[in-house]
Amino acid sequence: GDSWGIFTFLCAALCNLPALPALNCSEELGAGQSIQQTYDLTRYLEHQLRTLAGTYLNYLGPPFNEPDFNPPRLARAERVPSATVDLDLWRGLTDNARLAANYRAYSRLLCYLRVLDGQVGTAELRHRLAHFCASLQGLVLSIGGVMSSLGYPLPAGPAAPPAPPGAPAAPNDFLKKMDDFWLLKELQTWLWRSAKDFNRLKKKVPPAVVTLRLEARGF
Amino acid sequence: VQYERVGADVTMKCGSMDWDAAVTWTVNGTDIDESRLNGSYLILKNVDLSQSGQYFCYEGSSWHLKYQTYLRVGTPPKEPVLMCRSNNYPKGFYCSWHLPTPTYIPNTFNISVIHGTKDMVCEKDAVPKNRCHIRYLQLFSTVKYKVTLTVTNALGKNFTTLTFDEFAIVKPDPPESVVAKPVPNNPRRLEVSWQNPSSWPDPESFPLKFFLRYRPLILDQWQHVELSDGTSHTITDAYAGKEYIIQVAAKDSDIGTWSDWSVAVHATPWTEEPKHLTTEAQITETTSASTSSFMAPPTTKICDKGAVVGSGAVAVCWTAGLVVAAYSVLFI
Repeated sequence: GDSWGIFTFLCAALCNLPALPALNCSEELGAGQSIQQTYDLTRYLEHQLRTLAGTYLNYLGPPFNEPDFNPPRLARAERVPSATVDLDLWRGLTDNARLAANYRAYSRLLCYLRVLDGQVGTAELRHRLAHFCASLQGLVLSIGGVMSSLGYPLPAGPAAPPAPPGAPAAPNDFLKKMDDFWLLKELQTWLWRSAKDFNRLKKKVPPAVVTLRLEARGF
Repeated sequence: VQYERVGADVTMKCGSMDWDAAVTWTVNGTDIDESRLNGSYLILKNVDLSQSGQYFCYEGSSWHLKYQTYLRVGTPPKEPVLMCRSNNYPKGFYCSWHLPTPTYIPNTFNISVIHGTKDMVCEKDAVPKNRCHIRYLQLFSTVKYKVTLTVTNALGKNFTTLTFDEFAIVKPDPPESVVAKPVPNNPRRLEVSWQNPSSWPDPESFPLKFFLRYRPLILDQWQHVELSDGTSHTITDAYAGKEYIIQVAAKDSDIGTWSDWSVAVHATPWTEEPKHLTTEAQITETTSASTSSFMAPPTTKICDKGAVVGSGAVAVCWTAGLVVAAYSVLFI
């Protein structure tokens, strides 16, 4: 079955919604849209994710919630943006490229998480996911704010893939769970990488103090 | 060379000699008693380490050497102890290992590192011997590393495996060059400074945070301060005149675990130099008129130890008195 096709279709649909319910779109961000705050946000999210991931993996059940679970990476899972990068390449990233990579990654991860939110069974998980999505949305905006204040253009939102032709086939339950597992893993890795990205930016760029008026933005 | 397990029964044949031939066995130059022999065979029951050595078998009358062997008694290896750590993040990591109990015979170690589907080479260090290091090719990996150590000797083999995430094994070396100095004219302060461990390659992009602990030598309870950056700190609540012991530890600001504690440094806060007695007496006489209402009682010991004369003396006395009070509270 082509569960990925459905996944990306749903993602595209949700991501093109003009109004994002978890967000107050016209926000005036006070003094301190700075790199330091973005860094702090990534640390906060990392902490939040630990609890969320624990709950979610338990919901998926074994072997996903086993601490030694170390599955091979299937080709299909690479649609989720990876934080893994060659060391010298990472070092050599320009500020713009560094910020853009973070912005793109979290925008897409947020998309995928929102699809997840629509599918999970328990109320507790839905609540946690919703809270996490809201915080992650805040991070994306924070990164966007830093980019704007530095004069960098925001990357275009995730491309909307075409809808799959014909009737969608029933997804393979185990493979779907594997996708969820890798999504959480990539999210965790990105948050840990972002802390390092923003440490580097902190040293190179002085904190930008900026007031922004945000419009409702479709991703 | 012949390897045998501790506790085993060993039978040595004298080469091609018949069972009923007359022979003499020696071990490390000493003749072996005939009671140990079964015909021309040497029987060693329940061997122990002391029976390791060079064994010779000679034909009875001619003293021709018919057989020789070097016996080494040992044990097969127990499960080895393996540890992997990154003290130079993001450059790479090292693994080191050892056997929990000695085998008394030579062992070979073989280490393999698998990252996802890729085999990586762990380069063995010359010194120390039981150690190898790996350079990271990629950073921020979602795939775990699996390290397998196999130890083999003539009597058996054993192995152990470690599986970990890149960020889980990050543990810096302790901070270096820790220095603690008193602050002039500040009896309750100590200035502590240190440096990043030299093995940490990139403190700019991978900053360290620090944990300072200090206590006066006479107390057991440590005081702790966590510092998110900077390589110095001023202690402002030291007990006057007491020698302190101070240590610092380091950690990557986001991942991994704390380093071991640094080498301990000792320091005592600044104390006033005691003045000469006659000078004090003279000054007391001349200022007694103006400071009579605040004259410190002559029996106060701490003040007599050389306090500054005048109203300043009272201030020192009061401070000293508070310190005494604090101590007495502690010792109740």
